[in-house]
Amino acid sequence: MNYPSKFLEDAVMAFASLPGIGKKTALRLVLHLLQQDKDKVDEFMQAISKMRHQLKHCKKCHNISDQELCNICANPSRDPSLICVVENLRDLIQIENTGTYKGLYHVLGGIINPLEGIGPEQLNIQSLIQRSKEKEVKELIMAISPTIEGDTTIFYIARLAQRPELKISVLARGISFGGELEYADEITLSRSIKARRPYGQT
Amino acid sequence: MFLQRLKLIQFKNYLQKEFAFGRGFNCLSGSNGMGKTNVLEAICYLCLTKSCRGLQDRQLVLHGKDFFRLEGDFGKEDFSVKAEEKLEVVAKVIPGKRKEISLNGVPYTRLADHVGCIPLVFIAPEDHLLVMEGGEVRRRFLDLSLSQIDHTYLYELMKYNKLVKQRNYALKQFAEQKRFDATLIQGYNSQIAPLGDLIFHKRREFVEEFLPHFLYYHSLITGGKEEVSCVYRSSLEQAGMAELLREQLDRDRLLQRTSMGVHRDDLLFSLSRKPLRKFGSQGQIKSFVLALKLAQYRLLFEKKKVKPLLLLDDLFDKLDASRVLNLLQLLSKEPFGQIFITHTESEALRILFAESGIESPVHYCIEPGSVQKL
Repeated sequence: MNYPSKFLEDAVMAFASLPGIGKKTALRLVLHLLQQDKDKVDEFMQAISKMRHQLKHCKKCHNISDQELCNICANPSRDPSLICVVENLRDLIQIENTGTYKGLYHVLGGIINPLEGIGPEQLNIQSLIQRSKEKEVKELIMAISPTIEGDTTIFYIARLAQRPELKISVLARGISFGGELEYADEITLSRSIKARRPYGQT
Repeated sequence: MFLQRLKLIQFKNYLQKEFAFGRGFNCLSGSNGMGKTNVLEAICYLCLTKSCRGLQDRQLVLHGKDFFRLEGDFGKEDFSVKAEEKLEVVAKVIPGKRKEISLNGVPYTRLADHVGCIPLVFIAPEDHLLVMEGGEVRRRFLDLSLSQIDHTYLYELMKYNKLVKQRNYALKQFAEQKRFDATLIQGYNSQIAPLGDLIFHKRREFVEEFLPHFLYYHSLITGGKEEVSCVYRSSLEQAGMAELLREQLDRDRLLQRTSMGVHRDDLLFSLSRKPLRKFGSQGQIKSFVLALKLAQYRLLFEKKKVKPLLLLDDLFDKLDASRVLNLLQLLSKEPFGQIFITHTESEALRILFAESGIESPVHYCIEPGSVQKL
């Protein structure tokens, strides 16, 4: 594509560098901004710039936050005896959206994967171990995908955090809610049978 | 099992071609480079979801095209109810982008689920490499047999391999960074150990059941004059996987890889108690691998309760006329079912079948630019 202005081209390229946005969409966005008042565009820019510069990570759970402590950790009505360990922010947001979890979180920032050069020291594991030693913490809930890397991460944390009074649990694995047995694969089904539960406890 | 109809679209040297096959012998004849083996390759792909010769998907597309499609209508005979089930397998592949295999119109979410659905044995001219090359090809022979028999074997193997790879990378990084994290290695060990024990157990059991069939076919082919053996060797014979990983840790750290485990297993082939690779003649090696493959067929048949497809690529090459005739007689009887044969000489094939007294096969003659049914 040829653009009549170098400024325009730079802006299009900037947008096109975002995930899921191609050059055509980028051009549409840029032309839209071009029609806006200059003040409005400045506001837009500031919103992005502020987000990047002002945003902090919660010093306790590594969730994104405006203050030192995120609003989940600072909320006195949340149960500090439960820590839900998640891989990343996306998983945290998804669990938060269910509205059923009232404990605190810990964001690892990834999972252990030596193939990709990610070892335990690159993740927020040390701070989790420290937190888990606090007396008020009663349970770690490992909300990590049951992949090879996920299971390795769970094992690693469980080994370092273990102490008699601390319960360590993983998410239930098996038939999905509303799922029909007919469409479940054999591995899931055999796991579900092994991990069956007494009726009435769901 | 048998293949009734096969359609190739932009696969290897075929732009678009359809074949109709019979339930017994099917022959493909033609000069070198005409694409006889490509038809076998297509059948293999529909059964095992990949090339039997280790080719990449992009090497299977007709030159200059960006995708290929294969369709196969299979019939499954069920001996218990004397009824036939129809299986329509379609592979749509855009190399590097998309690979979809569907059974009766339903795409698989995991391709590995399809392996074993249509059992297959492929006998190729390069089979002598099973004897000549390193342990990897013999492990692949074991794995290909077992993954067609045992549905969960392939998952366990893939998981085991990935875990060993991760463990090796971790060991490598520890060595580079001059530190060591015992907890992480323990994490891998605890996941690898049960899988390694399971794979060892399954392989050992397989070889035990396989051996009598192998000895039977070998003596049938050679007249029983040679003493042969096929022995499974694994480091897990001495100790369990967990113990091996623990004991070898210092060595593993030094080597920066996992030195013992089922990924180092091998099959030892011998002839008159000497290693076959060093002491076997060309003909002896050829008979040996043929017996391996026929035993593989027999065991697949017993375990799956359906007759696997049998593909013979250029088998009659280098065999004398009486051996060829013997082999044909053998393959025309139970338990063998549908068989595909490639040969360069169409006339020789015709005479061979006429002499053997076997019902004449479906015969395709493949020539430059045309495929003719004789």
